[in-house]
Amino acid sequence: MIGSGDILTPIVMGFLLGGLYALIALGLSMVFGVMRLINLAHGDFVILGSYGAYALMSFLGMDPILSLVICIPVMFALGFGVQKYLMGRAFGISMEAPLIIAFGIALIIQNTNQIFWTPLSRGITTSYSLKSFQMGHLQFPLAYLLDFLAGVIVMIALREFLARTYLGRAITAASQDKRAAQLMGVNTNRIHGYAFAIAMASAAVAGVFLGMTFPFTPTSGISFLAIAFGTVIIGGLGSMLGTFIGGIILGMVQTVGGYFFGPATQMLILYLIVLVILTIRPQGLFGR
Amino acid sequence: MIASIVLLALFPFIGVPRSWLLYVFLFSIYLAMANMWNLLAGYSGLTSLCQPAFLGLAGYTMTMGTWVGVPWWVGLIGGGVVAALFAILISLPVFRLSGIYFAIGTLVVPEALRLVFYLWKPVGGALHGAGAGYMVKGIADVSMDQIYLIALLIGIGSIFLMRFILRSNLGLGLAAIRDNERAAASSGVNVFRLKLYTFIISAVITGWAGAVFYLYQGYIEPSATFNVKWTMTLLLATVIGGMRTEEGPVFGTMVVVFLYFLLARYAGYSFLIQGIILVGIMLLSPQGIVGVLRSNRLYRALAQLISAR
Repeated sequence: MIGSGDILTPIVMGFLLGGLYALIALGLSMVFGVMRLINLAHGDFVILGSYGAYALMSFLGMDPILSLVICIPVMFALGFGVQKYLMGRAFGISMEAPLIIAFGIALIIQNTNQIFWTPLSRGITTSYSLKSFQMGHLQFPLAYLLDFLAGVIVMIALREFLARTYLGRAITAASQDKRAAQLMGVNTNRIHGYAFAIAMASAAVAGVFLGMTFPFTPTSGISFLAIAFGTVIIGGLGSMLGTFIGGIILGMVQTVGGYFFGPATQMLILYLIVLVILTIRPQGLFGR
Repeated sequence: MIASIVLLALFPFIGVPRSWLLYVFLFSIYLAMANMWNLLAGYSGLTSLCQPAFLGLAGYTMTMGTWVGVPWWVGLIGGGVVAALFAILISLPVFRLSGIYFAIGTLVVPEALRLVFYLWKPVGGALHGAGAGYMVKGIADVSMDQIYLIALLIGIGSIFLMRFILRSNLGLGLAAIRDNERAAASSGVNVFRLKLYTFIISAVITGWAGAVFYLYQGYIEPSATFNVKWTMTLLLATVIGGMRTEEGPVFGTMVVVFLYFLLARYAGYSFLIQGIILVGIMLLSPQGIVGVLRSNRLYRALAQLISAR
């Protein structure tokens, strides 16, 4: 052993990574809360956000965080359209129709990305994404700290939005009791559109920070969908704080597991934890 | 119907072009898998996205068997058993989930298996691609005609199996669950057990179909095996033809095989186009081809004639 500080590295990194995982999961949780739909395309939406930032960076030389000024509105509009023209109609057809359509959308995004960007692995590298920062006597990549900060900021922003604005309260109302919300004069169809659009906007943010932290390929979406799902499952649905804690737990499981069993097993440990938690406590560690 | 089956079975002996054999071979494999997906998603309310796990595990069982001296046909049959055991194992976590949770829980399973087979190289030998990539050993004496007939047997067999299941007590129970799960449970239908049975049956048949596919392909490797594209193909075949209908997968699989060869030249775009078709059909004609056909009187008369035989 080099020192007792060694194990501290994966613990801190996992903790910071949790911010990113929470960020990815927020959109999934939001869509589920309002529409009772597990959006199978959410991971691919996140990767779409990564490619968006990557494109703006490599063609226009834009800073990836700054490029969110463009990516967020574009993804917001896309989300509104997807909900209005595809998902919204699916709910009237049958129970599994929205699921199958989400699956179809996931494959469309994956294969479009593959055609444009080839299956090669890409990464968003900037002057600061490769830097590291000092904490005690340990060094950590700066990107992980940015992930954590972004997670905290988006979570607080969403929470304030849901609690304080009319639209936010309407979204909360629609997720609690759709019929009652309708009777109170809330246009639930429009609310669904906004909820989906906000989820997509959060996916755009998640995509940028994901791209700065990990390399990604057109098919990475599924792994991040699994991570987002695991985060939501651990945290229990509907709770923002629970989602955040879920992200941190999952991040730590991954990095600490990787520390003991080698980096190649990280994702496998993560999938297994998700399946084990589903077996023991399907309602989530913090769910009722 | 009998006549057409006999004709298909005679194909290798009357010297039809090789490409026809390939069409019918793929049709049979996909048909068996699509039928089993229809049984799960259409009739049992289990939107399973882990079918690649079954076909992959069966394929690996057969392939690895040939490396340690097990005859391929024993490995093929054993592959179905392994798939069934695996179905029982994963039913522990995923059967606690209903509806949408079930779908995503099962989606994780093939992903996890792919990583397992990247890391774990069970038998030594010639590597083919990354991770556990193997050739199927010692099958030089197995002819395409034999493989074709086994595939046909499984494909056609799956049609009769569906007929049998839907007319048995299991099918009646499933219909009751589909109409009203709570009412069925309170009238003494063991919901959990029936769903588990269909899950296991689908694992066995999907596994066999997968093993035959890898017998034909001659090699197996993790990334194409535990791949969501398999799920896409089965889903598309069922949805195009018409979910929750017995004849749907037959029509749907024909279209999928046709598309497969039509789009083979544009490999990169193939799955993009299939995704668009999937979303389009689901929105415009959720009952698929059969839904459209059933509004036609001639088709209804014809269907009655065939089922009367």
